[in-house]
This record gives sequence, structure tokens and C-alpha cells, in this order.
Amino acid sequence: MYRLSKLSHAQRTFFLAATASILGSMIFSENNTLATKMEKGQLHYKDPNAIFNKLTSEDNLYFKRGKPQYPGHVPLFLHEKILMVLGSSIGSYFHPERNEFIVGLGESTAISPVLRSLQTQMLSDPVGRQLLRERPRITSTSLNLEYLRLLPENSIGNTYIKWLDREGVSPDTRVPVRFIEDEELAYIYQRYRECHDFYHAVTGLPIIIEGEIAVKVFEFMNIGIPMSGLGALFAPLRLKRSQKERLYNIYYPWAFRSGLNSKPLINVYWENILTKDVNEFRAEMGIEQPPDLRNLRKEYFEKLKKAKKV
Amino acid sequence: MFGAVRRLATAAASAQVSRLQDVVIVGGGPAGLSLLAALKSSHKTRHLKCTLVEGGSLDNIRTFGEDPPENYTNRVVSLTPQSVEFMQERIGSWQYINQDRIKFYSSIVAYDSQEKDARIQFDASMTDGNGVLAVMCENINIQSLLLSRIDEIGDSTILDNTKVLDIVHPNKPEINHDLTAEPQTTSPGLDWPIVQLSNGESIQTRLLVGADGYNSPVRKFSGIESRGWQYGRFGVVATIKLQYEDYRSIGWQRFLTTGPLAILPLTEDNATIVWSSTPELSDILLKVTPEIFVHLVNAAMTLDEVDLNYIYGVLKKDPTDTSVLEEIEWRMSKIKLSELEEKYPLPVSEVIDKSRARFPLKMSHADTYVAPRVALIGDAAHTIHPLAGQGLNMGQSDVAGLVEALEKGVERGMDIGSTLVLESYVSNTWPANSMLLGVCDKLHKIFSTDFYPLVLLRGIGMKSLNMLDVVKDLMVKSMAR
Repeated sequence: MYRLSKLSHAQRTFFLAATASILGSMIFSENNTLATKMEKGQLHYKDPNAIFNKLTSEDNLYFKRGKPQYPGHVPLFLHEKILMVLGSSIGSYFHPERNEFIVGLGESTAISPVLRSLQTQMLSDPVGRQLLRERPRITSTSLNLEYLRLLPENSIGNTYIKWLDREGVSPDTRVPVRFIEDEELAYIYQRYRECHDFYHAVTGLPIIIEGEIAVKVFEFMNIGIPMSGLGALFAPLRLKRSQKERLYNIYYPWAFRSGLNSKPLINVYWENILTKDVNEFRAEMGIEQPPDLRNLRKEYFEKLKKAKKV
Repeated sequence: MFGAVRRLATAAASAQVSRLQDVVIVGGGPAGLSLLAALKSSHKTRHLKCTLVEGGSLDNIRTFGEDPPENYTNRVVSLTPQSVEFMQERIGSWQYINQDRIKFYSSIVAYDSQEKDARIQFDASMTDGNGVLAVMCENINIQSLLLSRIDEIGDSTILDNTKVLDIVHPNKPEINHDLTAEPQTTSPGLDWPIVQLSNGESIQTRLLVGADGYNSPVRKFSGIESRGWQYGRFGVVATIKLQYEDYRSIGWQRFLTTGPLAILPLTEDNATIVWSSTPELSDILLKVTPEIFVHLVNAAMTLDEVDLNYIYGVLKKDPTDTSVLEEIEWRMSKIKLSELEEKYPLPVSEVIDKSRARFPLKMSHADTYVAPRVALIGDAAHTIHPLAGQGLNMGQSDVAGLVEALEKGVERGMDIGSTLVLESYVSNTWPANSMLLGVCDKLHKIFSTDFYPLVLLRGIGMKSLNMLDVVKDLMVKSMAR
């Protein structure tokens, strides 16, 4: 092969092109393609089911778009998924307030190995299996808010509704999953999305950007969805110095500790434990409560005001 | 008068005398019976005086021959075409086989439980030969055909229900300086081992063959060490019925982390399973109700390990818990029906009563197969993991090797018990057996791990081997030869 480098550029080009065309014509010659077809049984026999089975397992999914596995599924090619990751990561960095970027980033980075290991985690736990079988969904109608207000003070349901009132939000119907391949994995991702508010409620973190980042880190350490990890890495870069300090010194260590030490949050059947005492729940799961973020911010702003006055 | 007294004394002494034989085979399993039949069928060794000693009763084998039971017994083996040929040509016993109870099958599919696409299919239906990969045959069927052949030839002694009490080296003879004494029938110069039996007889033999299983007393007598290890696994066997007859005649084997589970076809809708499992799992398998067992086998061939481990956990607490049936149904519903039909075995519908049993798995190999006047064949020489179904076939190839060595010895007029004759048996069979034992051991070790990089590597290995039809055909041909 080193003799190739001794040839001139033109000779080299000619040589390589000639080799490529000869080998190509040998491999893709008519005889060989006919032989491949015969091996597959497509040469002499006409498959009467061909009209009905548009996509068989033999087909290469790199060239043919797959079939939708569940209602709302949009099957993507590999290059489309990669573009989605790139586009939504840039978009969500500069415009985190726009939901479609966060949604897109989450779904495109939740690759099969991650969701499969979550599935394995759920399948090894009896409550997780119950979740996968019954497939409960949390929507604004499935949770009766009036009923939650009537629940005792320290119950999970009451904590949740109090948090919703404090932040001034309603349990919004989360965007349905569209880009994840397998239907069970799509449900797992949907469940993760819908339980996000419960994680806020149980830890008491508000919906301001710092709070969201802290919850995301907590989720990442416990559940392992890649988007939350990406958020933890890149989102603080856009914050003010005081916010960054608070995050890095207080909330990140809390999130790492709490996320790693607590039991898997994905296996919690929230709808069934609404009347449970929240402190008992936290103790069972091993969740620490972080310092109240809104109070910390209030104190900080008061200090600033005093300093300016003085 | 002195003469009379002396004659009485020698008569009393000769009551201790042993019968002389050329070959004594200890053990009436397939290996021992096969050796006896082969020796008597071969015209070179047919004149040798042989005795076979078996501790258990061979009556149930004879009654099997005359009146076989309705259901298959649970000890079934897969005979390679080589073993069949040996039985047909050299022994001539294949004509006695109960044809209704054997199944020729032409392909085997082995797949992995950790990687969905990793599978190998060996298909012999297209090769010349008669499109047969192996034959499923009950152990007792094989023993019965060998026994029929032995009975047909006659001229050998079979002592069943006779245990070997002891095997001794003959004492050094006292030199009797009285030249007028009666000569002793047991010639004092013989170094032939004496086998003392429970029926009071003792036999002194030129060659002692040990075909008496893993804890072979013959091997202990010969001082040959056997090295190996216990796998810490039990092989659970059972006879089952499939939902309907599988016309494809395929053997299926799934490599689980506990050990492989194989479903091998028998005639009509019967099949036999061999499941290498951990002690706790084999306990569960023997304790669950037949209904749960059937669905557990189906689940073990199709579901993921995580589901199986969950089910084992539930059954460990309560072996009669039927909630696992719903779990199995739910998880099976996730697999597409077309895939289920194509890629997985036919579902099992029932298990024959009382056919579930377990035996411990181990690997062992004797340092050598021969010692002066002793030869070892079958399980006495080697035991193997059942994942490739080669144990009995190795025994048959041992017999073939030993018979060849003895024939050569007889042709050259040598003493068949001497190591000069027996060494060629060892050199022909020991290396091949060692290789097979090693390969099966490594396969077992590779497939019982769930360490992800190894899983990936073995998946790649299986997929690439599956694509190379040339290599697979070579492997099939080397087994069929």
C-alpha cells in the first residue's frame, strides 16, 4: 500500500476509482443481486401479503420510516433525532421559557438504554409493576383539587395543593410524549413528566429558575433522565452571581445527597398515597427537605436594600 | 492318609478360588452395556470371556423392552449421528431400538436472554447425510437395545443386583516348596485384580473396566485422581407436552443467567426439558404446582430476566401463588404475536406427573483413563455440563476407542490388560474429551454472567457466527461426520 503514496495524484485517483468500480460491479452485479433475491425468496415467489405488510421486521429501519407504536407517536430517523438534540439544546439554553425546546430536548435525549434501565428498575418493584400495568395519568381533571384541600394538614395531597396555591399554578396537562420509540418506555417518560410537580411539592422548591434547576438535579441523581443532568450542567451559566452561589453552595449538595440516598422516586404511586403523612413519607424515602428558597431570596433582597440604604 | 488330609486341605483352600475372566465390566449403564455389546459383536474380541456386574436391577430395562410405559421417562439424551452409527455398525444393536420412542431432529436454536437479537440456529436439514442433527432417545431405551443385543449374542455373563464389595490386588503367593502338593487353580503368579461380589463370588480378571459412574470404586482402586469442580447448579429435568405437535422438529435452548433451559422435541407433542438452575431455583421448580410450572417454563423461554427474577422472588415466598400467572400473561402480551411464533418455542401445555427431578451438575476429568489392568469409561472417567448434551455421546466414543485398542491388542496377541494395549485408548480419547469438557465449561461461564461488556461481546459473537453459514455447516458436519 505504501507504493500508492509514490504515485502521482492523478494516478492514485485513477487507481482507487478503478478498484472501487471493479469491486462494486462484482458485488452488485446482476447475478449477485438476483442470487440475494432468490435467497430471500423474493425471486421466484410472489408474496401475496406484500400489499398488507408494508413494513416487515426484515426491512432496514435506516431507510424506511417505522410505524407508529402508540397514538401520537412520530417515528424519527436517526439523523432527525440527532438534529432534534442539537436544535432543542441550543433553543432551550437561550429560551428556557419556551416549552417546546425543553420537551424536545427531554424526549430526544431520553435514549433507549436510559429508559430501559428505568423500566428494569420499575419491573423489579411491586409498586412499579402496578404502575406499569394500570398506567395512571395525572391531569388537571384526574386529581380532584377540592378534595385535596379538605385533606389533613400534613398529608401529601394537602401539601401538593398548598404548594400549587403558593406558586399560583394549576396542575397543567403535560405535553403528551411523541418521539419515544417503545410504548411502555413512552409511558414511563410521560409518568416522569407528570410527577414533576409532586417532586416540587414534596421538597418545597418554587417554580423560579433556581428552584427548577435544583429539582432537576435532584431528579437526575435519583431517576437518571439525561435532560435533567444537562440542565444541571448548563442552565446555571445564565444566572446572576448571587443565584449561582446559592445554588452551588446549598442546593446542589442537597440535591446530590438527597437524590442518591433516597429510594427510587419513579416507583411511587402518588395517587394512592395522597392521604399519607408527608413527613413520614419523606423519612421512608430518605428525602431531605432543602432550605426554603423563597425565604432565602427574601432575606437576600432585604439585606441588599439595607446595604443600599446605608 | 496324609495324602487324604492334604487333599482335603487343598480343597478347602480352593474354595477361596476366584473365577477367571478376561474382562469384567463394573456398571450396567449405557457405557458398560455398550462396551459389552461391542466386545461381543466384534469378531476379533468375541472370544473374550466377559462379565458385567450391575448393582441395581436390569429387570425394568427388560420390561421396558417388552412393554414400554405410555409416557416418556425423564432421562432423555441426544445421540449424535456418530453414536448412532457406532450402535448400528459396530454393535448392530440399533435394530432393537423402539422406533416409536425416538425423535430425529434437524435443527437447534440457541438464544440469549440478555440480548434480544443474539441467537444461533444450526440447521442440518439441508446438509447431505440424512438431514439429521441428532436423535432424542430415552436412556432406558438405549440400555434396552444394548441388552437385547447382548442377550441375542449370549456368551457373556450379566450379574445384576450384585454389588461390588471390594476389589483387591492378589496377595503375594507363598512359595510352596512341597513339589508333590496339588497345583492351585488360581495361579499364584497372576497380578490380576480380584473383584469380590455381594453374592459371594469373586472374579479374577485380566482387565477390569470401570463404567460405574462418578463415584467409581474402580477408579478409587486404580488410584487415578479425578479433578474438577461442582458447578453449584442443579439440572432439573421434566417431561412435558407442548400445545400441539411441532412439525419443525427444532430443539430450543435459552441461556439464562442461572443456566441454560433447553426444550428438546420428542415424538408427537411430547418434549423434554433440562433446566440448569441454582439450588434455590431448582427447589422452587420442584415445589410449584404443575400449572405454575408449565407457565414458568413458557415465561423462562420468552420473558426478560428482570421479570423472571421478580417471579422467582414471589414464588420463593409461596410456591402456590397464582398471581404470577397474571404477571406472566401481562408481560407476554408485550411481545408481538408474529415474533412469538417465529422466534420462540411452542408453548408448553402440561407437565407429566412426577416427572420432575433434579441432579447436581459437576465437571470432572480423570487424570488418565487407564492403569495396569484397569480402564475407565463413561461417567467414571468424565462428567460434563449438560448444556451441549454430550455426556452420553462421550461415553460411547470412549467405548469405541477402548474396543479399537483391545482389538488391536488381540490381533497382535498381547495381554489386553497391559498398559501397552490400553495406552492407545487414552491417547485417542483423552484430548478430545478434555477439549469438549473445556468448551462446555467455558460456554457455561460465559453465558452465566450479566456483566454488560461481556454480554455485548457474546451477543456480537453469536450474531456474527449466525451469519457465517459456512462455519456453522462445518460445525454440524464435524458432529455428524
